[in-house]
Parts: sequence; structure tokens; C-alpha cells
Amino acid sequence: MSTRVAVNLSSGFVPGVNAVICGVVAAANELGWKIVGIHDGFEGLLSPDRYPHGGLVDLCPELVDGSLSSSRPLLGTATKVDPFRVQTINAENQIEEVDRSDELIKLLTKNNIDAVISVVGIRALSVLFKLHRKGLRVIAVPKSVENDVAATQLSFGFNSTLSCAVEMLERSREAARSAQQIGVIEVLGEHSGWLALQAGIAGFADAILIPELPYDIERVAAKLRAELGIGARHGLVVVAEGARSAAPETELRTVNPLKASLSPSATGQEGGHVIERSGFMAKKVAGELQKLTGHETYPLVLGQLIKAGHPTAVDRQLGLAYGAAAIRALHENQSGVMTAFEPPELKFVPLSEAINKIRTVPANSLFVQTARSLGICLGD
Amino acid sequence: MTPPIDQLTGIVLNIQHFCTHDGPGIRTTIFLKACSLRCKWCCNPESIHPKPELSYNLGKCIGEKECGFCLKECPESALFVLQSDGKVRVNWDLCTNCGKCVDICPTHALNLFGQNMTVQQVLDEVEQDSNFYNESGGGITVSGGECLLQPEFVGALLAGAHERGINTAIETAGNVPWRFMEQVLPHVDVMLHDHKATDPEQHKKWTGVDNVRILANFKQAYETFPNTKFVARTPLIPGVNDDEDHVRSVLAFIRPHKNVIDYELLPYHRFGESKYNFLGRVYELKDFESPTAEKLLRLRAIIDEAFGRKSNPVTEGSS
Repeated sequence: MSTRVAVNLSSGFVPGVNAVICGVVAAANELGWKIVGIHDGFEGLLSPDRYPHGGLVDLCPELVDGSLSSSRPLLGTATKVDPFRVQTINAENQIEEVDRSDELIKLLTKNNIDAVISVVGIRALSVLFKLHRKGLRVIAVPKSVENDVAATQLSFGFNSTLSCAVEMLERSREAARSAQQIGVIEVLGEHSGWLALQAGIAGFADAILIPELPYDIERVAAKLRAELGIGARHGLVVVAEGARSAAPETELRTVNPLKASLSPSATGQEGGHVIERSGFMAKKVAGELQKLTGHETYPLVLGQLIKAGHPTAVDRQLGLAYGAAAIRALHENQSGVMTAFEPPELKFVPLSEAINKIRTVPANSLFVQTARSLGICLGD
Repeated sequence: MTPPIDQLTGIVLNIQHFCTHDGPGIRTTIFLKACSLRCKWCCNPESIHPKPELSYNLGKCIGEKECGFCLKECPESALFVLQSDGKVRVNWDLCTNCGKCVDICPTHALNLFGQNMTVQQVLDEVEQDSNFYNESGGGITVSGGECLLQPEFVGALLAGAHERGINTAIETAGNVPWRFMEQVLPHVDVMLHDHKATDPEQHKKWTGVDNVRILANFKQAYETFPNTKFVARTPLIPGVNDDEDHVRSVLAFIRPHKNVIDYELLPYHRFGESKYNFLGRVYELKDFESPTAEKLLRLRAIIDEAFGRKSNPVTEGSS
């Protein structure tokens, strides 16, 4: 009987997912293997009744043909499907989270599925690691628009998002120029500043603020004042959503007695971006810069917008290569590994080396050095 | 047979002293773990899961260089360091809430929500406030989570309080089997109960289950326990239930029952949102604002009219 491999996607669309699936299907076809897609992570297997045509779909080369450049994913992306914590309503009409991982493994066996290739971001990597520990044959393919998955130089989806971000920065610069304002543009990146840093360099921003380098807003303002002092009428600042000030926070929400009484244990304080997430840093930095420079600023949040769209040539190649590599890994009898791009090689790294890490920008990174050489202020 | 009160345990989240929002007078509120709903606006997410649960406050962590004890202690390798700031992060998917990291965390950045306590231990603690109960007409309130999911523990706790002459109240959303409610209510003086949405589908959308059994439980409680006082409540969530139709439908449900003595509106607030991050979860209602004062006054006036009284000040807070 021929080998049958399942492929699924964890939550969140990333440009290039179809390229991975195409790569998997094409490489499997060369070996005479069958590929089946699972809708919405593992939901298609755990709750097949939710799907009019069942939760599994046979992925033959003919079906995936033409989908490579499409921005519509071939399979659904899960929202909250973690087989170890599936929210259900029990017989007593109570909502509870139950561990269905054992059931999942049985269902895979029942459906003659020998292994699973999962396209995952940071968090789902750990779920996959746990399934691997339970004996499931798994291969992970890293996806990330922030390029924050550790143990690989490049996750697919990053290059497409970066290209889109740069285009949007160009437009923002033109808008800032025509309105004679300072644009403060926020991009994704809670822990990792790769997207802000690389887009900011490519868009030749005046300043780039990333989570790894706590910023002094006075330095950013000084840089802008200097630019404005020599005739510039506009400015462009790129800020990652997780950027943080080096100064002690003064705008944190205070814990008042009402809060303490209504919400016991909520006595800690958190940076605003953690709660507000999208938009908080752009608004904060724009407000501070307007006060310090006396020049009108405007905040703009690119947010999820730049995740959508077509993959670039880099992401198509990477996606196809990752998909094919995942099949190669299974063919070599590997399991519990992640495909990783370490130029010039495409390697397999154990999942244990990829979890519990976030790929952040080192202080001596080439990109940091480049930004400094170009006179771009990093706020430090 | 029910164990004696020095052996019967429940999972207690917190004991909050000097509360003024959870029933008459000054009260001591005992928050229990476990909830059978998943309200999207929940301000006590640490009360939802039935077992003790790890939380992590990044702001209190002093980092690997200064400390790092937790990294060595975790048997699941669920803690790691983010190189850019040198502080610890929790891999929530690997954490089993064993709590071994909590005891050695010197700054209490790591904390375990929930602990097993006996009925006797809880009674000993709440009895310290008995002078305040006597002066203010207060007592104890058992809240949650959903306190009725631990019916044996709550029943014994409230019975013990009654034996000590302490007034008792519970806060419940009512989504429990009737037998649980029936077991506890004989020991309850005041039952604060939620009417979160009128339409069953809307109720399911925002809380995870419909309200058919909840309403049946409330009706049966009103009728079975005529000497118990009931206070209906609505956590007022903008765009979900802050409309006149909902308030009027709740009034239509409760007014035929004379032992339902009040209907309170609890305006939505966001005080609990930081805790979602402590628990590695996402707060979904971040774009919602609190209802306006004008709307509160208008809705409150409808309630006052139904109860035949002049306007009362609006109670703050939502559960």
C-alpha cells in the first residue's frame, strides 16, 4: 500500500502556503505517495461533520495546479485548534477544554495516514512537538511574516510581507511629503524587529524602533529635528508593535482600588501594546514626537493588511522547496524535525531545537550595522 | 457521605475582603475556580479553568542573569529566556501548571492561581471580618468562576457560615445541573444571578452555550426557595445586551416573582484584560468601550420604574 501523508496549516494566513502544499504534492507524486489535506489544522479530522464534504480532501497534482500564485489557501487555516485543548460542550452543558490528542492519533491511523506535515508558526511548533512525543510522525514547515521562528534563517511568508511593507512605506513617505508631516508607521513584530528593521532600511526611514533595542524618544526627536532643521518638511519613522521605551513607563495604567476589588489578582501592570496590540505604539510614538519636535505627525498601522496578497518569487521558491524537503525528510525516515533554510543549505532541525526560542535581532546584526551606517536612528 | 469540614476541600482562587459590590453591606468574597461558560468579556479569566493555573507577570521578572531559578526547576522545559531582554517567557503549550517554578520565584512574577482549601480554613479566614458584617449588614459571598460547580464545598461552607450567624450570598450564572443549585440554595440568603443575553443564540455566541437551562434553573429556584432573596444582574456589554429590549425582557422574567428584589446593571469594564496576557491568552473584546452614563441612566430608570421606586445610583463593575 502506498504511503499516505496528511498536510495541514496552523492558524493565520501567510503568503506562500499554497507553494508549500504544491511542493508537498509534487514531491509526493514523484514517489507515488498520496497526499491528503486536513481542513483547519486538525479540526477536519476531529470534527468532520462541520464540513459539507468531510474534513479531509485528497490533494492530487491536478487539484493544486494553478494554485501556486493564488492568495486563497488550498486548505483552511485553523483558528484555535489545539488537539490537547479542544473546547467542547459536555453532557452537562458545560464548556470545557479536553485533551483529544489520543483520539487524533487513532483517527489518523483509521484514515490510513502515515505522517503529518504541518505548516506552523512559533506556537503551533510546540503542539507539534507534543504530538511527536506521543509517537506521531510529524514534519514542521516554518511560516512567519515576522521571521521569528528560531533555528531557520528564513520562514516563508516573510519576504512577501517585507516587500508589501516596503511598498506601503514608499506610499507613506509620499503622503508625509505632500502633507509635510512625520509619518509613524507601525508594522507587525511583538518580539522580533526583523520586519520593521528590514522594511525601514529598504524604505530608507529616518528612524526605526524595534523591540530588541529599547529606544530613547529624545534621540529620535533629535534626529528628526536635525533633518527638519536642514530643510526637510517631512519624516518617516517605522516602529514595530512591540517596540519599547528605555525610559521607565509613565503611561501605564494604574491599579485603582475599584479594579482591585472587581478583578482580584489584576494588580500587575502591562505595557499598553500587550493589551491594545495593534496601533498602540504608532499612536504613542507619534504623540510623543509631535510634542518634542513641534511638527505635525500621523500614526499609521499596516498591521494584518500586509500579510495578505500574493507570494513573491522568493516565497514561492522557498515554499516549494520546504514542501519538497518535508517529503524528503519522511522518505529518509525522519520525524519530529522542522525544515530550515541555512544558506546555502536546506536542512532538518529537531523540533526540540526550534521550540522555546524566538528569533530576535542581535545587537550586532548586519542589518543593525547597515542601518547605523546609513544614518538611520535606532533610538538607542 | 460528605466529609467533615476540616477535610472537605474546594479550589479557591482568592478571598477578597471588604467588598461592596457583591451583595448587601461589607462582604468577604470567596472566588472559586472553574466556570461552565466562556463569556468573551470575562474580567476574571484566571477563574475559568477548574485546576490551579500558572500566571506570569513579565514586569516583575528580574531576568536570567539576576535570578534564573525557575529555568532549572521546570520539569517540562516550559520556561525559556528571550535573548533580547534577558527575561523569562512561558511556553504555555508545554506548561502543565505543576507550580514548581512558583515557590522559587523571588519576585512573584510566577504565580499559581488557585489553591485547595478546606471549608474550615475558609471559615477561619472569613470569620476575622465578622465585626464588619455585623456593623454593615454584610456577610460572605461565594463567587467564581461558577461557584455552583463545587456544590458540596459551597453547601458546607455556607452552612458553616450560617452556624456562625454570618449572612450568605452566592454569585452564579446558573449554567449548572439543577441538582447542584438545589444542593446549595438551602444555605443561601441572597442569590445574585446573571441574565447575560435574552436570545438563546446570542447567549451562545457570547458565552458559549444557550440560556435555556439557565432560565429554567432560575425559575425553578425562585419557586422552590420563596424565602431566598434573588438579585438579577446584567453585565452590560455595549452592542451585546445594552439595549432596552434586553432589560425589559429580564424584567418580564423576574417581576412575577416577589422574591426577586432587584435588578442591577454592571457596566462593562476592561480591568481584567492584563490577566489574559499573564495567562498566555488573548483578550477578544479589546475594541469595546464601557457604556455611556446616559445609557446607564436610561436603562436604570426603566428598572426603577418596574420596581416602583426613584432612581438608584448605578453599580459599577461587571462579572
